[in-house]
Amino acid sequence: MGIDTPYHDVWIVVPAFNEASVIADVIADLRAAFDHVVCVDDGSRDDTGPAANAAGAHVVRHPVNLGQGAAIQTGVEYARKQPGARIFATFDADGQHRVKDVVAMIDRLTADDVDIVIGTRFADGPPARMPALKRLVLKVAAAVSPSSRKLHLTDAHNGLRVFNRTVADGLNITMNGMSHASEIISLIAENGWRAAEEPVEILYTDYSMSKGQPLLNGVNIVFDGFLRGRMPR
Amino acid sequence: MNWIQGLLIAAIVALLFYLLRSRRNAKTKAWVKVGYVMFVFAAIYAILRPDDTTVVANWLGVDRGADLIEYALIIAFIFTTISTYMRFKDLELKYARLAREVALQNAQAPGGEPLRRV
Repeated sequence: MGIDTPYHDVWIVVPAFNEASVIADVIADLRAAFDHVVCVDDGSRDDTGPAANAAGAHVVRHPVNLGQGAAIQTGVEYARKQPGARIFATFDADGQHRVKDVVAMIDRLTADDVDIVIGTRFADGPPARMPALKRLVLKVAAAVSPSSRKLHLTDAHNGLRVFNRTVADGLNITMNGMSHASEIISLIAENGWRAAEEPVEILYTDYSMSKGQPLLNGVNIVFDGFLRGRMPR
Repeated sequence: MNWIQGLLIAAIVALLFYLLRSRRNAKTKAWVKVGYVMFVFAAIYAILRPDDTTVVANWLGVDRGADLIEYALIIAFIFTTISTYMRFKDLELKYARLAREVALQNAQAPGGEPLRRV
């Protein structure tokens, strides 16, 4: 293991859709700490892909827009084929995550001997700039999900996740859209992966707030949950 | 509660549960075809002897044969809607896997040639 690049076995997966205005900065920040970043351009109509590539990321481009769940699956499938890849992370492209949180989560994954570490916004009470309604919905979502309860997870819909080879090889997201977050939680429960939570800070910038998903999407997520059992593997 | 009410509610619940839980396989497809053939024969019979539907309706606690047929239609409509939705979901997943394969084959390492724009 090289001393100058302690995270050379880490692959960061960044799903991106129409993020040309911020993607270069996000990738550059990540590349300052990590050797390997793969940006999945989810059929963007702007220059997200070329911008990410120029900033130092591997780019995998969906020929059509498929959704965030599909993009994460593509990124993980790309990363797990790369020689020497041992640790994987998902990181949102809109600049709402902090690189130092990923570093802390990677250290936690190694130190605590778990399979997956998920970021949580609720470790020290709700975050300052989170809208009250969103806070309530996320709390309810975590409380009603049987898998989340079983695993004692407080924030199922956090975009920051760090996981090892076992999880990357077993990951098979069938929900293309935004329901992948609850699907990942269900996969953790079904496969008996050891999960831990790490407090992270979300930067609710005006940009990331404008890109956020509408709360009504929760209806879709609940409905997709019922469907999951019969999707072909 | 009338017989028909019990039957209709049971049919709706059973269909929903069955569709959500079972995978599409050869057996399911065969039963759909058997059901379709039975439907055709029942339809021809009902056209030839419309009054008989009223007799069956009365057995089940419904006044008119036309009402019974309407109830059956509603169930058939729900069944069709849900199964079409399911089929679209399955197709969406296959389509995503196809697109993923294309994307992975055209992956671009950093510092390589610029991405081909579609």
